[in-house]
Amino acid sequence: MEDYFSYTQKLFNPVDAASKPEAFKGIRVLDFSHVIFGPVAARLLGDYGAEVIKLELPFSGDLWRPATYWGKYWKHSNPIWHNITKNKYFISVNLKLQESKELIYKMAETADVVVENFAPGTAEAWKIGYSQISKINPKIIFLSCSTYGQYGPMRYFPGWDLLAQGASGVLTLNGYEDRFFKLPDYLGDFTPANFGALALMMALYYRKKTGKGQYIDQAQTEALMRMLPNFTYNSVTGKAIGRTGNVDPTMVPAAIMKSKDEKFVALACTTESQFAALAEAMNRKDLLTDERFKTNLSRLQPENAKVLNKIVEDWVKTQKGQDIIDIAVANAFAAAEVEDDWMITNDEWRLKRGSVILFKDDMYGELAIAGPSAHLSRTPSRVKWLARPLGYHNRLVLKKFLNLSEEEIADLEKKKVIGTYDDKPGLKPPVYYNLAEDPIYNYGKEVSK
Amino acid sequence: MSPQPQKEKIYTRHASAKPSDLTKNLASIMDPDGKAEVLDDVLVLDLSSANFAGICAASIFAEYGAEVVKIEPTTGDPARFLTPFGANVKGVGIPFMFEGRNKRYMTLDVAGSESERETFKKLAKKAAVVIETFPAGDMDAWGIGYRQLKEINPGLIYIAITAYGQFTDKAKQYAKMPDVDITSQAGSGLPAQMGDIPEAGEPFNWPTRAGLWAAWYNTGLSAALGGTVALIHRQNTGEGQMVDVAGMDSYSSMVGMPASIGYTWRKARPRIGVLDFILYPYGHWKCKDGYVGIAAPRDHDFRALLKILGMWEMEDDWRYSSDRIPDILEQALHLHKLIEAETQKYTADELVGKALNYSSKSARSKWRGGGVPIVMKLMTPETAMDNPQWHIRKTFQQFEDKELGKYTISGNFTKMSESPPRVKWVSCGIGQDNDYIKDKYLKD
Repeated sequence: MEDYFSYTQKLFNPVDAASKPEAFKGIRVLDFSHVIFGPVAARLLGDYGAEVIKLELPFSGDLWRPATYWGKYWKHSNPIWHNITKNKYFISVNLKLQESKELIYKMAETADVVVENFAPGTAEAWKIGYSQISKINPKIIFLSCSTYGQYGPMRYFPGWDLLAQGASGVLTLNGYEDRFFKLPDYLGDFTPANFGALALMMALYYRKKTGKGQYIDQAQTEALMRMLPNFTYNSVTGKAIGRTGNVDPTMVPAAIMKSKDEKFVALACTTESQFAALAEAMNRKDLLTDERFKTNLSRLQPENAKVLNKIVEDWVKTQKGQDIIDIAVANAFAAAEVEDDWMITNDEWRLKRGSVILFKDDMYGELAIAGPSAHLSRTPSRVKWLARPLGYHNRLVLKKFLNLSEEEIADLEKKKVIGTYDDKPGLKPPVYYNLAEDPIYNYGKEVSK
Repeated sequence: MSPQPQKEKIYTRHASAKPSDLTKNLASIMDPDGKAEVLDDVLVLDLSSANFAGICAASIFAEYGAEVVKIEPTTGDPARFLTPFGANVKGVGIPFMFEGRNKRYMTLDVAGSESERETFKKLAKKAAVVIETFPAGDMDAWGIGYRQLKEINPGLIYIAITAYGQFTDKAKQYAKMPDVDITSQAGSGLPAQMGDIPEAGEPFNWPTRAGLWAAWYNTGLSAALGGTVALIHRQNTGEGQMVDVAGMDSYSSMVGMPASIGYTWRKARPRIGVLDFILYPYGHWKCKDGYVGIAAPRDHDFRALLKILGMWEMEDDWRYSSDRIPDILEQALHLHKLIEAETQKYTADELVGKALNYSSKSARSKWRGGGVPIVMKLMTPETAMDNPQWHIRKTFQQFEDKELGKYTISGNFTKMSESPPRVKWVSCGIGQDNDYIKDKYLKD
């Protein structure tokens, strides 16, 4: 029989991804959303083949377009934004005008999915909510994203990832007794966005079976709460888990520690056999016969856990980081070095796996972006293009998807129903790029190169 | 239980509009009771072992209505014993109780028994989804990997969860290393971004672990999402496939920042304590009686915050008006401390009241530019439960299990008008459904 890893290499080879089928081919998504939560939910469908049309206001565009780390732009664009909104069609429409609404209603006729994350009630008030869109297209699947949800007394509270972290209790769990930190990189937006995308996919599955569309209300606070056994712990014991710094209180040993060569290494044992393997590697088989450390549940008793974590910490101090990891691999317990941005970008394993992709874009050239969280052998996710300047796909969407004539497009431009970018980083094209020669920006027109 | 004095207060100009009929009726439209279950035609076999990513993915399928069979040896999944400070009810740990959602429990020893693998094969022939977390290649060596099962069930979706995945040389070399939350957090880039500034001293300036299973839950969610993409392809074509999820991707692939920042900046970000690297003010501050979260990152929000904290004289200082988010730590911290000195003069409720008052006025005023400084009292999971918002939305459910007694879980994580997820029962006894499964799936 062929070696397993040679079989899987063929099964998953990232080089073949582009020639495989797309799970959401033919699905059209109208993306009214902004910042991270909504856009990522819509993008996840786009990654698997859906046509995602992102609507933004002319000249200002999405609030998050200019929001890069410490204001550091890359080719007049925001490198983070390329991860959040790749594979989308960017159309810039002034939602406040009546003509724009008619344009949106026309797009809604052929759309399968709508995603929005305005303040709850806004989409309805602007007449582009589920009540209005479902009248035009009863099979529509409409996702509203917000921090507290679309109903309940707190619904009008504005939302940020921070507020969802604060409202769910997640924010107070990370760190030490009198010093704690929010989850980094707006995880409080990204994780709920995945819950939102999951709901969209479930709704698509349901629609195929029954022909019915539906309305979805994804509150990001509730998505974060889904990940907290803390509520059950509290209801059973009457106590709080609280903050335990770098020690995981659910298994022993499990902590982030510092090695002899000043590397930060996480090490953990989840089973009796893993702990036995670690004890052997540490040359401390005596620990296995110690009553305090015999079973998972006895090791977890706080006083025993403290002693054992200290023993392991002291051992880690005497070893080099890579040696600990080698020992872990050989003995089948878990250990890993803490990886930072630079290590992740340059990690050979990630590049080979396609978890970090060096994507070559027609407009921006090469950029490292994150690959998918799950690799699919038959219908893999793929990157087609990065983010684009504001209004880049106006003509393509209007002509190709809506069959508008040149006169109709000129009329919309004249009435300022559609527009493009202002001269701001995050919105405009790179300085070296000549849009006049771009066949997509000028879709349907003759362009000379 | 703390009352919510701010409830039904107006925060934005749009909120003053009359709620639509849809909004008024949502609480009943979105009630999950009696609704269709979207995955009622899907059988999921969960073989995961000592791995909550697998358990969480299986739970999500079960909450969306799939028949999920949790398969474990007679000694039980070691995950039953992973629990904060050893807390358990009759030998079942808290997280396992929390994730015991709508599942069937069957005993089979696929790792140790040839004949029980044959039983598993019979089940797998009828299944839509298999979830496993064994070392990459183990199931294959036992004759029940994706390569073998797809021959008897071409529509099968096979989800494998490990630390380093199913392909590449490193995956092979590291195959035996288990996927565990803290190591997958570390290896996928989360702790590197969390922790205090260098001057704070050890251990506060170390990379810090997220105080929840951030890696396991994101891996499990990604597995469920990838599996659902595969279910849709299967629905359209009848084809199954393999889904490979690596714990070491859990954070970096979810947020995307590490890859693109490392590439464009040519170095790693430092840890900056409670500051944020894109937005300011955006974090938490000490106040008289605890902590408040403040989000006032847009220019007009920031100016509004200066007003309500009595700091308006700083408005034209260029350091804050046009460069609030510098990569110069001292400058950022300077502003942070100035704000902290003010927030400490008030209680959380006073600060929340000030912000609400300003926001509702600014929403109606042409002159204030619509600044919305948001201040909230920080919640712990325990205090968060008291919020009436979650009572109305049925976010928390209490179950009474005949073995495990009464306890609370957070569920109903997505509200859907037609086919919402929900939790129907929580019981999780080892082998409790052996007969049920035998009768239903193993008769022929």
